[in-house]
Amino acid sequence: MTNSRWRTLFAVLAVFAVMAIAVACGDDDDDEGAATAVPSGGTTAPAATTAGGSPAATTSSAPSGTITIRGTQFQSWDPHYANFAQDITHFFMVWRGAYEFDLESKPIPSMADGAPTVSSDGKTYTVKLKKDLKWSDGTPLTAKDFVAGVQRTCDFAVAGEYQYILTAIVGCDAAYDAKNKDKTAAEIDTLRKAVGVRAVDDTTVEYKLSDAQPTFPILLAMWPTFPVPTAKVKDIYAPAWPGPMENLYNGPFMPAKYSEKSSIELVPNPNWVGKQKAQVSKIVIRYIDDAAVSNNAYRAGELDATLANLAELDKLKTEFKFGATGAELYAYPATRTIGLEFNQKDSLMSNPDVRIALSRATDRKTLNEVVNKNANTPTTSWVPPARNGLKGGEYDSILGFDAAAAKASLAKAGFADGKDFPKLTMLLVDTAVNKDLGAFLQAEYKKHLNITLELEFVDSKTRSARFNSGEYQMVTGGWQEDYPDPENWFIGLWETNGSINKTATSIKALDDLVAGAKYNQNDEARRTAYRNAEKTLLTQASGIAPLWHTQATFLVKPYIKGMVESKRPGDTFTPGDWNPENWTTTKK
Amino acid sequence: MIVYAIRRTLSLIPLLFAVATITFFLMQAVQGGPFDTDKPISDAARANLEAKYGLDKPLIEQYVLYLKNLARGDLGVSFANDGTVTSIIQERMKKSGQLGTAAFLFATVFGLGLGTLSALKQNGIGDYAGVFIATVGAALPPFVLAPLVTILFALELGWFNVLSVNYSFVQWFQGDFSNWRQMVLPTVALGFLPMAFIARITRASMVEVLRQDYIRTARAKGLSEQMVVLRHGFKNALIPVLTVLGPIFADLLTGSLVIEQAFNIPGLGREFVTAVLIRDYGLIMGVTIFFAVVIALMNLSVDLLYGFADPRIRF
Repeated sequence: MTNSRWRTLFAVLAVFAVMAIAVACGDDDDDEGAATAVPSGGTTAPAATTAGGSPAATTSSAPSGTITIRGTQFQSWDPHYANFAQDITHFFMVWRGAYEFDLESKPIPSMADGAPTVSSDGKTYTVKLKKDLKWSDGTPLTAKDFVAGVQRTCDFAVAGEYQYILTAIVGCDAAYDAKNKDKTAAEIDTLRKAVGVRAVDDTTVEYKLSDAQPTFPILLAMWPTFPVPTAKVKDIYAPAWPGPMENLYNGPFMPAKYSEKSSIELVPNPNWVGKQKAQVSKIVIRYIDDAAVSNNAYRAGELDATLANLAELDKLKTEFKFGATGAELYAYPATRTIGLEFNQKDSLMSNPDVRIALSRATDRKTLNEVVNKNANTPTTSWVPPARNGLKGGEYDSILGFDAAAAKASLAKAGFADGKDFPKLTMLLVDTAVNKDLGAFLQAEYKKHLNITLELEFVDSKTRSARFNSGEYQMVTGGWQEDYPDPENWFIGLWETNGSINKTATSIKALDDLVAGAKYNQNDEARRTAYRNAEKTLLTQASGIAPLWHTQATFLVKPYIKGMVESKRPGDTFTPGDWNPENWTTTKK
Repeated sequence: MIVYAIRRTLSLIPLLFAVATITFFLMQAVQGGPFDTDKPISDAARANLEAKYGLDKPLIEQYVLYLKNLARGDLGVSFANDGTVTSIIQERMKKSGQLGTAAFLFATVFGLGLGTLSALKQNGIGDYAGVFIATVGAALPPFVLAPLVTILFALELGWFNVLSVNYSFVQWFQGDFSNWRQMVLPTVALGFLPMAFIARITRASMVEVLRQDYIRTARAKGLSEQMVVLRHGFKNALIPVLTVLGPIFADLLTGSLVIEQAFNIPGLGREFVTAVLIRDYGLIMGVTIFFAVVIALMNLSVDLLYGFADPRIRF
């Protein structure tokens, strides 16, 4: 090869290298580039000014320190559309509704100036807002913004999955279903205007319900009813929604810097009117998918708090002095229940004695030790104790582990000692824990019932698709509470033809109990009705045989206060992440 | 050669059409859609979501619409991200591209160096050491190496960071090296396996070249050993190495799930795997087409480079 050819070759290589670097680098405007960005019209500095007329803060000291936590990238920044837990965690840091939850998960005024006024028929709720509320940029926050929030959630074009919690509002279902019913543009406009929410004046919002739903105040603390900055969002029905750096906020914090899939930094919102002002000057949420990676980052001091990696829970318990003085590992009950779900359209699974036999042949305590490494709480209850007001264990005598009773139940079903038992397949998501779970159940059923359980492992989406379309016999599944009330554990899930009833459960007594409880204004009678509904559901293991209540397990540095102290059963990513204004740090 | 390059570039059009078509229908054939989640949704919600993203239309109509948009350079939107597929690919490639380029440079420099050194010291200590490193590299896939180097160098020794969220060389060009603790481990962990591969090929090629008559002639002419090795040996030994450099570069450039996951780098590899798992149709299509273009262009580049490296090759 001649020298000129070599020179050309290296010139070409150099050009490719430069091109590759150019492609790779581009305008790298993530962490570095975004450093100077602030929300439109906002400020990153916690200014001294607060909304005029706002109640005095209980904490007057200037916010200080930075807390860095592990989080998961949100899928949508739109509170009227989003449905993922990680999205909602973000929302409560930067937005609040008319009400918010106290540490007992009871709604208390946030933007509202006191409790709502309820009409004598229980169908009209009037909420008076605090005076002179402002968005983070100083724009007035009025009743019109709260009206727009409900209108957005109820709209088909936004397509928010949490519309289902607002079905009690007059016209909400009709507006949500408008497109599916092939309505004309004029008809759609009429339906949108007919949604039962209006601004009486700048500080008064009126909600009209089709039925007197006693839990409605809870829903006014939930993200689907959060206000819309209408001065910024001109078309409230447009699916497009301003991103973190373009939006306006009324919560304790607001974004100051955002890099998708990498991190978001939050600083105090100067116009937050809550009693507790933000106490840290910055919260950094690093988006980390892998719990093992986040736990290593915690060990290296790169994170102040993170979800614990349950795969190494035993090691973490020793390493972080679980339950001892100076512990950094915390575990507490979450409002999530997992169990064996049965498709009652299947001839085998429609037999209650078979379902009970399977439930009673499952040693939940050993399962929790062997498979879950004691990370959860074994149970036979559907509704967690925090919500049904019971102590737990009420259904052990019906569904709990008892090999002899399991055998007897199977014999009653016509399969004595497992003889002639048809093929039974369990559908599971392909994970390491589920492989252990499947193997455990196979061994239990063989040992106690002399039957063979076949396992079918699929990916998460396939499992969900087959569950939703009824193409399964038995799966592991359950429920994560959306809002803190027992009704959220029944409505839509277990009534005959319930909108998300995927187990073909159909019990008239349960239907009647739920229908009677739904609009019962007597709180104790309502709760009793749901307790009875739970008993009706579980007596024949209809739809589900609960196995465990999930526990929330976190690592938190000792210099962080207000996190564990603000914990709630619904916390998914960090303790107290619905009240980050309570967090403090003494780390320098 | 220009005609050849143009012809090859034009052949990308039917290739991309085939990739888009196969991916589109395979993707739709897989059970489970983007709105099948652990928590079931009502029929009304599903209908609204499908209408919002155009999934309520017949499959063929969706396909034709996708091709039309693709012809205009519109890759559509992602269901799971706030943004267009094009912008997502651009953002993730900033990370994956930098990581891949750095790993490629690491693999190439050390691979060529190690392979050449081993060949020159054949059957000596240096050769055994080189072969040992190359063998270890080949035997340590990234999913083993990444946690290993993290535990050793980040947790035990504390030299580097666990998280590499700010993996970027851009600030280095501005004189800011503050993120250097985030740069080393991902680069080495990703580049180690290809380095071992390049070292083994270089060594084999170099050993063969050094036995050729023209090398003996060069030495007989009295040329210095440096001249013999670099000018006559290394240049000719480079030809088989060139063959693998293109695919290696394409592979490294398009992201690595394992390394991006292990060091929490928001790159394209991780994004692509996530898109498949959550059935983010728009992103699956867009990234597959992007990967096809990158790989096709890399192969074309290597083919063109052959012509320069080996005078016997004519286009």
